[in-house]
Amino acid sequence: MRPFRRRGDELVARLVDAEASIVGLLLDQLEQLLAADPDDSGGDPVVERLLPPGHASDPEIAADYRDLTEAALRSGKADDLAIVRATLPPEGGEVRLDDDQARAWLRTTNDLRLALGTRLGVTADTEPPEDPTEEEGSQLAVYYWLTAVQGSLVDALVAGGGGRR
Amino acid sequence: MAGPLAPERTPDTTPGEDHSLDRPWVTVVWDDPVNLMTYVTFVLQELFGYDEQTATELMLQVHHEGKAIVSSGPRERMEHDTSRLHAYGLWASYQRDA
Repeated sequence: MRPFRRRGDELVARLVDAEASIVGLLLDQLEQLLAADPDDSGGDPVVERLLPPGHASDPEIAADYRDLTEAALRSGKADDLAIVRATLPPEGGEVRLDDDQARAWLRTTNDLRLALGTRLGVTADTEPPEDPTEEEGSQLAVYYWLTAVQGSLVDALVAGGGGRR
Repeated sequence: MAGPLAPERTPDTTPGEDHSLDRPWVTVVWDDPVNLMTYVTFVLQELFGYDEQTATELMLQVHHEGKAIVSSGPRERMEHDTSRLHAYGLWASYQRDA
Protein backbone atom coordinates (compact mmCIF):
# COMPACT_ATOMS: atom_id res chain seq x y z
CA MET A 1 0.00 0.00 0.00
CA ARG A 2 1.14 3.48 -0.79
CA PRO A 3 -0.74 5.69 1.70
CA PHE A 4 -3.10 8.48 0.70
CA ARG A 5 -1.53 11.78 -0.34
CA ARG A 6 -3.17 14.87 -1.72
CA ARG A 7 -2.38 15.43 -5.37
CA GLY A 8 -4.08 18.61 -6.56
CA ASP A 9 -7.82 18.15 -6.09
CA GLU A 10 -7.48 14.43 -5.56
CA LEU A 11 -6.50 12.07 -2.77
CA VAL A 12 -4.45 9.25 -4.19
CA ALA A 13 -3.25 5.93 -2.79
CA ARG A 14 -2.11 2.67 -4.33
CA LEU A 15 -3.26 -0.79 -3.25
CA VAL A 16 -1.76 -4.09 -4.28
CA ASP A 17 -3.95 -6.89 -5.58
CA ALA A 18 -4.28 -8.77 -2.27
CA GLU A 19 -5.15 -5.59 -0.38
CA ALA A 20 -7.90 -4.68 -2.85
CA SER A 21 -9.31 -8.23 -2.57
CA ILE A 22 -9.42 -8.05 1.21
CA VAL A 23 -11.18 -4.70 1.15
CA GLY A 24 -13.68 -6.15 -1.34
CA LEU A 25 -14.41 -9.10 0.97
CA LEU A 26 -14.79 -6.86 4.00
CA LEU A 27 -17.18 -4.64 2.03
CA ASP A 28 -19.31 -7.70 1.19
CA GLN A 29 -19.50 -8.63 4.88
CA LEU A 30 -20.38 -5.09 5.94
CA GLU A 31 -23.01 -4.85 3.22
CA GLN A 32 -24.69 -8.03 4.48
CA LEU A 33 -24.70 -6.72 8.04
CA LEU A 34 -26.26 -3.43 6.97
CA ALA A 35 -28.86 -5.11 4.77
CA ALA A 36 -29.92 -7.66 7.41
CA ASP A 37 -33.36 -7.34 8.96
CA PRO A 38 -32.84 -5.30 12.17
CA ASP A 39 -35.03 -7.82 14.04
CA ASP A 40 -32.68 -10.64 13.08
CA SER A 41 -29.45 -8.84 13.93
CA GLY A 42 -30.58 -7.68 17.37
CA GLY A 43 -27.92 -8.37 19.94
CA ASP A 44 -25.07 -8.61 17.42
CA PRO A 45 -22.37 -6.51 19.09
CA VAL A 46 -21.05 -5.31 15.73
CA VAL A 47 -24.46 -4.01 14.61
CA GLU A 48 -24.86 -2.51 18.08
CA ARG A 49 -21.58 -0.65 17.62
CA LEU A 50 -22.33 0.52 14.09
CA LEU A 51 -25.81 1.71 15.10
CA PRO A 52 -25.47 2.56 18.79
CA PRO A 53 -28.31 3.53 21.11
CA GLY A 54 -29.10 7.28 21.01
CA HIS A 55 -29.55 7.44 24.77
CA ALA A 56 -27.15 5.79 27.19
CA SER A 57 -29.70 4.86 29.88
CA ASP A 58 -33.29 5.57 28.82
CA PRO A 59 -34.61 2.71 26.64
CA GLU A 60 -37.70 4.68 25.53
CA ILE A 61 -35.64 7.57 24.22
CA ALA A 62 -33.25 5.08 22.62
CA ALA A 63 -36.21 3.36 20.89
CA ASP A 64 -37.56 6.71 19.64
CA TYR A 65 -34.14 7.55 18.31
CA ARG A 66 -33.86 4.22 16.52
CA ASP A 67 -37.27 4.68 14.89
CA LEU A 68 -36.27 8.13 13.71
CA THR A 69 -32.75 7.49 12.47
CA GLU A 70 -31.90 3.84 11.88
CA ALA A 71 -33.20 3.53 8.32
CA ALA A 72 -31.38 6.70 7.22
CA LEU A 73 -28.15 5.65 8.96
CA ARG A 74 -28.26 2.24 7.32
CA SER A 75 -28.87 3.68 3.87
CA GLY A 76 -26.19 6.35 4.34
CA LYS A 77 -23.67 3.67 5.25
CA ALA A 78 -24.79 1.58 2.26
CA ASP A 79 -24.33 4.61 -0.04
CA ASP A 80 -20.81 5.18 1.33
CA LEU A 81 -20.01 1.53 0.81
CA ALA A 82 -21.17 1.70 -2.81
CA ILE A 83 -18.85 4.68 -3.40
CA VAL A 84 -15.90 2.77 -1.93
CA ARG A 85 -16.72 -0.24 -4.10
CA ALA A 86 -16.97 1.91 -7.21
CA THR A 87 -13.61 3.60 -6.57
CA LEU A 88 -11.73 0.47 -5.47
CA PRO A 89 -9.59 -1.03 -8.25
CA PRO A 90 -10.67 -4.70 -8.00
CA GLU A 91 -7.23 -6.04 -8.88
CA GLY A 92 -5.24 -3.37 -7.14
CA GLY A 93 -3.83 -0.14 -8.49
CA GLU A 94 -4.39 3.52 -7.89
CA VAL A 95 -7.30 4.79 -5.81
CA ARG A 96 -8.18 8.37 -6.77
CA LEU A 97 -10.80 10.21 -4.76
CA ASP A 98 -12.41 13.64 -4.76
CA ASP A 99 -13.22 15.16 -1.37
CA ASP A 100 -16.72 13.67 -1.14
CA GLN A 101 -15.53 10.21 -2.14
CA ALA A 102 -12.74 10.59 0.43
CA ARG A 103 -15.35 11.20 3.14
CA ALA A 104 -17.20 8.05 2.08
CA TRP A 105 -13.90 6.14 2.36
CA LEU A 106 -13.26 7.64 5.81
CA ARG A 107 -16.67 6.58 7.11
CA THR A 108 -16.55 3.13 5.54
CA THR A 109 -12.99 2.31 6.59
CA ASN A 110 -14.02 3.44 10.07
CA ASP A 111 -17.05 1.12 10.00
CA LEU A 112 -14.81 -1.74 8.86
CA ARG A 113 -12.40 -1.01 11.72
CA LEU A 114 -15.30 -0.80 14.20
CA ALA A 115 -16.65 -4.13 12.95
CA LEU A 116 -13.27 -5.87 13.10
CA GLY A 117 -12.29 -4.17 16.35
CA THR A 118 -15.54 -5.25 18.00
CA ARG A 119 -15.23 -8.85 16.77
CA LEU A 120 -11.59 -9.05 17.89
CA GLY A 121 -12.23 -7.31 21.21
CA VAL A 122 -9.72 -4.53 20.49
CA THR A 123 -9.01 -2.34 23.53
CA ALA A 124 -6.84 0.72 24.11
CA ASP A 125 -4.01 -1.69 25.07
CA THR A 126 -4.22 -3.89 21.97
CA GLU A 127 -0.97 -4.01 20.01
CA PRO A 128 -0.18 -5.14 16.46
CA PRO A 129 0.09 -8.94 16.17
CA GLU A 130 3.42 -10.64 16.71
CA ASP A 131 2.49 -13.40 14.29
CA PRO A 132 0.34 -12.09 11.42
CA THR A 133 0.21 -15.55 9.83
CA GLU A 134 -1.81 -17.10 12.63
CA GLU A 135 -5.63 -16.74 12.30
CA GLU A 136 -6.35 -14.08 14.91
CA GLY A 137 -3.04 -12.39 14.13
CA SER A 138 -3.99 -12.08 10.48
CA GLN A 139 -7.32 -10.43 11.29
CA LEU A 140 -5.58 -8.04 13.64
CA ALA A 141 -3.04 -7.30 10.91
CA VAL A 142 -5.93 -6.36 8.60
CA TYR A 143 -7.30 -4.11 11.33
CA TYR A 144 -3.96 -2.31 11.64
CA TRP A 145 -3.63 -2.11 7.88
CA LEU A 146 -7.05 -0.40 7.71
CA THR A 147 -5.92 1.92 10.50
CA ALA A 148 -2.95 2.98 8.36
CA VAL A 149 -5.17 3.53 5.31
CA GLN A 150 -7.71 5.58 7.23
CA GLY A 151 -5.03 7.49 9.15
CA SER A 152 -3.28 8.52 5.94
CA LEU A 153 -6.60 9.65 4.46
CA VAL A 154 -7.44 11.82 7.50
CA ASP A 155 -3.96 13.36 7.40
CA ALA A 156 -4.20 14.03 3.66
CA LEU A 157 -7.63 15.67 4.04
CA VAL A 158 -6.50 17.80 6.99
CA ALA A 159 -3.34 18.84 5.13
CA GLY A 160 -5.56 20.11 2.33
CA GLY A 161 -7.75 22.10 4.72
CA GLY A 162 -10.50 19.50 4.36
CA GLY A 163 -11.50 19.79 8.00
CA ARG A 164 -12.31 23.47 7.72
CA ARG A 165 -14.62 23.76 4.75
CA MET B 1 -7.05 19.39 31.40
CA ALA B 2 -9.36 21.88 33.15
CA GLY B 3 -13.11 21.38 33.55
CA PRO B 4 -15.63 20.78 30.79
CA LEU B 5 -15.48 23.13 27.86
CA ALA B 6 -18.53 25.20 27.13
CA PRO B 7 -19.83 23.94 23.79
CA GLU B 8 -19.61 26.62 21.14
CA ARG B 9 -22.67 27.66 19.23
CA THR B 10 -22.38 26.75 15.61
CA PRO B 11 -24.76 27.12 12.70
CA ASP B 12 -25.79 23.52 13.31
CA THR B 13 -26.79 23.88 16.94
CA THR B 14 -29.58 26.44 16.61
CA PRO B 15 -28.58 29.72 18.19
CA GLY B 16 -31.25 31.47 20.21
CA GLU B 17 -32.33 28.50 22.33
CA ASP B 18 -30.33 29.71 25.32
CA HIS B 19 -33.29 31.52 26.87
CA SER B 20 -35.53 28.48 26.86
CA LEU B 21 -36.93 27.69 30.31
CA ASP B 22 -36.36 23.98 29.70
CA ARG B 23 -33.04 22.54 30.61
CA PRO B 24 -31.22 22.08 27.34
CA TRP B 25 -30.20 18.75 25.93
CA VAL B 26 -26.62 17.86 25.16
CA THR B 27 -24.82 15.54 22.75
CA VAL B 28 -22.03 13.52 24.33
CA VAL B 29 -19.17 11.75 22.57
CA TRP B 30 -17.78 8.77 24.51
CA ASP B 31 -14.29 7.32 24.39
CA ASP B 32 -13.82 4.13 22.43
CA PRO B 33 -10.70 2.13 21.60
CA VAL B 34 -11.07 2.12 17.80
CA ASN B 35 -11.62 5.68 16.59
CA LEU B 36 -8.37 7.47 15.78
CA MET B 37 -7.66 10.70 17.63
CA THR B 38 -6.99 12.52 14.35
CA TYR B 39 -10.27 11.19 12.94
CA VAL B 40 -12.33 12.32 15.96
CA THR B 41 -10.80 15.81 15.71
CA PHE B 42 -11.53 15.90 11.98
CA VAL B 43 -15.16 14.83 12.49
CA LEU B 44 -15.79 17.44 15.20
CA GLN B 45 -14.45 20.16 12.88
CA GLU B 46 -16.41 18.82 9.94
CA LEU B 47 -19.78 18.45 11.68
CA PHE B 48 -19.79 21.33 14.13
CA GLY B 49 -17.48 23.85 12.49
CA TYR B 50 -15.12 23.95 15.48
CA ASP B 51 -11.68 25.37 14.86
CA GLU B 52 -8.80 22.93 15.09
CA GLN B 53 -7.84 23.92 18.63
CA THR B 54 -11.39 23.55 20.03
CA ALA B 55 -11.91 20.25 18.25
CA THR B 56 -8.57 18.97 19.54
CA GLU B 57 -9.41 20.00 23.12
CA LEU B 58 -12.76 18.21 22.92
CA MET B 59 -11.11 15.10 21.45
CA LEU B 60 -8.54 15.09 24.27
CA GLN B 61 -11.31 15.47 26.83
CA VAL B 62 -13.02 12.40 25.34
CA HIS B 63 -9.73 10.54 25.40
CA HIS B 64 -8.68 11.44 28.96
CA GLU B 65 -12.02 11.85 30.76
CA GLY B 66 -14.03 9.26 28.83
CA LYS B 67 -16.55 11.71 27.35
CA ALA B 68 -17.18 15.29 26.28
CA ILE B 69 -20.21 17.41 25.50
CA VAL B 70 -19.89 18.44 21.87
CA SER B 71 -23.14 20.34 21.36
CA SER B 72 -26.19 21.52 23.29
CA GLY B 73 -29.66 22.73 22.38
CA PRO B 74 -33.20 21.44 21.92
CA ARG B 75 -33.81 17.70 21.92
CA GLU B 76 -34.57 17.39 18.20
CA ARG B 77 -31.31 19.11 17.34
CA MET B 78 -29.38 16.79 19.65
CA GLU B 79 -31.03 13.76 18.03
CA HIS B 80 -29.85 15.10 14.72
CA ASP B 81 -26.31 15.79 15.97
CA THR B 82 -26.13 12.29 17.46
CA SER B 83 -27.18 10.70 14.18
CA ARG B 84 -24.60 12.74 12.26
CA LEU B 85 -21.92 11.48 14.67
CA HIS B 86 -23.21 7.91 14.28
CA ALA B 87 -22.93 8.27 10.50
CA TYR B 88 -19.19 8.86 11.11
CA GLY B 89 -18.98 5.97 13.57
CA LEU B 90 -18.34 8.02 16.69
CA TRP B 91 -19.82 6.63 19.89
CA ALA B 92 -22.33 9.36 20.78
CA SER B 93 -25.61 9.82 22.59
CA TYR B 94 -27.84 12.68 23.73
CA GLN B 95 -29.37 13.41 27.09
CA ARG B 96 -30.89 16.17 29.16
CA ASP B 97 -28.16 18.39 30.57
CA ALA B 98 -27.31 17.27 34.08
